[in-house]
Amino acid sequence: MSGAPPQLASPLPSAPVARWRRAWTGMRRNHIGFVLCALGPIMALFVLIRIYPIVETVRLSFYNYNITQRRNPFVGFANYIRLFDDDPFRTALLNTIGYTALTVVVTLLLALAIAILLRSIERAAPVFELLFYVPMVIPWVPAAVIWKWIYDPAYGALNYMLSGLGIPKLGWLQEPHLILYAIVMVSVWKLVGYFVVIYGVGLRSIPEELLEAADLDGATAWKKLRYVVLPLLRPIILFTVITCTIICFNVFAPVYVLTASSQGAPAYDFKVVVGEIYQNGFVFYHMGYAGSQCVVVLLFVMSLLVVQFLAFREK
Amino acid sequence: MFKEPSIRLAAWVACLTLTLFTMLPCIWILATAFKSAAEINLWPPTFLPHDPTMENFQQLLRETPFMRYVFNSLLIAVGSTLAIMITSSLAGFVFAKYHFPLRGPLFMLILASAIIPLEAYMVPLYIMVFKVRMLNTYAALIFPIMIMSFGVFFMRQVIMSIPDELLEAARIDGASEWWIYLRIVLSLSKSGLMAIGVFAFTQAWANFIWPLVVVSTGDMYTTELGLAEFQRSFFTEYGPIAAGAVISIVPMLIVFALLRRHIMQGIATSGMKG
Repeated sequence: MSGAPPQLASPLPSAPVARWRRAWTGMRRNHIGFVLCALGPIMALFVLIRIYPIVETVRLSFYNYNITQRRNPFVGFANYIRLFDDDPFRTALLNTIGYTALTVVVTLLLALAIAILLRSIERAAPVFELLFYVPMVIPWVPAAVIWKWIYDPAYGALNYMLSGLGIPKLGWLQEPHLILYAIVMVSVWKLVGYFVVIYGVGLRSIPEELLEAADLDGATAWKKLRYVVLPLLRPIILFTVITCTIICFNVFAPVYVLTASSQGAPAYDFKVVVGEIYQNGFVFYHMGYAGSQCVVVLLFVMSLLVVQFLAFREK
Repeated sequence: MFKEPSIRLAAWVACLTLTLFTMLPCIWILATAFKSAAEINLWPPTFLPHDPTMENFQQLLRETPFMRYVFNSLLIAVGSTLAIMITSSLAGFVFAKYHFPLRGPLFMLILASAIIPLEAYMVPLYIMVFKVRMLNTYAALIFPIMIMSFGVFFMRQVIMSIPDELLEAARIDGASEWWIYLRIVLSLSKSGLMAIGVFAFTQAWANFIWPLVVVSTGDMYTTELGLAEFQRSFFTEYGPIAAGAVISIVPMLIVFALLRRHIMQGIATSGMKG
């Protein structure tokens, strides 16, 4: 892609040789040889591992593709039509949307509130930020392993803490209506620190004079927050909403671990979109159909990208 | 920002509560890994082990090839990190300091793809790896994580701050572009490169779904994959699994503790992008 030579052939007949020569010296001056040698292989690799697979995903979604078969016929929109009748997929989509909405709202509100409060205890803030960030360093699988034991119906710490309040033992991962909250809690735990740090960066960039000016005008803390801090944070809030939404929409590893039946305790089969892609594509090898589910994810992510782009274009 | 005493008090209470929420599970897993099987299944549960034991770690290493998983994870993470450090710094350098046709569109393409998750395009990647008969190899595991879009963006930002005069002076002294990259750009962007290295390493170490689809035999398992599969079979006890989780977390904590300044700086930049 990057290897494509610049458009040199001019349709105008006026002194083509001179134009070529000018272009050539221009390229020499800009070290075009180095650019090609350095960037060419990287862009080739980039196309191979990013662009081609994305485009190919869309193409696959129109085929009845099965890796174990020789003939993979074109089926038009059949995979997409099938999506509408696929009950597990519909459940997965609804679950994922509910999970994403809840996690994004709770994580970001908590992170924003904490980040704002941290500004009033400036000296302790870096230490707290580190302590909040620790779960972010823990990969999803061990994170889910930790929580699985906390949620254990018989021996879990959560049920023990709740028993102090007189609440009987609950099957957090067994009850269909509880498992959503169980997975949301793990996700909030893991993600909140990252967003506290991000909001911290945004808040620190707000000039102190603005707030002092508001103080002189006799503004209350709430008014300062409402009319000075939050409006200035808007771009960062938008960025975090989009980042967090995409992270949550692709939830898979914690669900995979938390819904695995183990240690003698079965778990409820909470379906999510990426889990369905995994099932269809890599367990049943219905790769065309899995491709159409990937396209749903792609469209979702792209639409968020467009929202972000438009929002920043305004400015 | 807000200096009212009541808000300061609320801040302390809220932050200490959140600290409990984020830190207790971490301490809990650490404590559990050192408990005996009998103590783990005690009701009411104990918080710290009465009688710390290494039995869980010994059992894990005796009955599973967990060290092999750790080795695989390390190999993949190091391979991916080196590749990402090279591709990010070189591409970042070219995008920051050279003019060439299609520079803007190419950079936009890389930036836009940063947001698209691997899950959305892993099916064709799998088919590609299948067709070249590379399933279940290290190459297949490292292959899709050799470029990090954010890394290219980040290194471009870092390298843009290197003055052009410095590069021009080297050119006048007869330095080639490669020499400038290796000797000037890399040494002046070391700190940023460290941040990208940390991100790449943690990302590769934590990678789960790609090993899950590509790996088919136990000897190629990564720590994450091994840990997840223990949940499904193998163990009926929690102790060795807790030990495995601790082994999988510790390298991340070490990296984080050593390089936290670089990491925080990197996050700050990713926030500034917004």
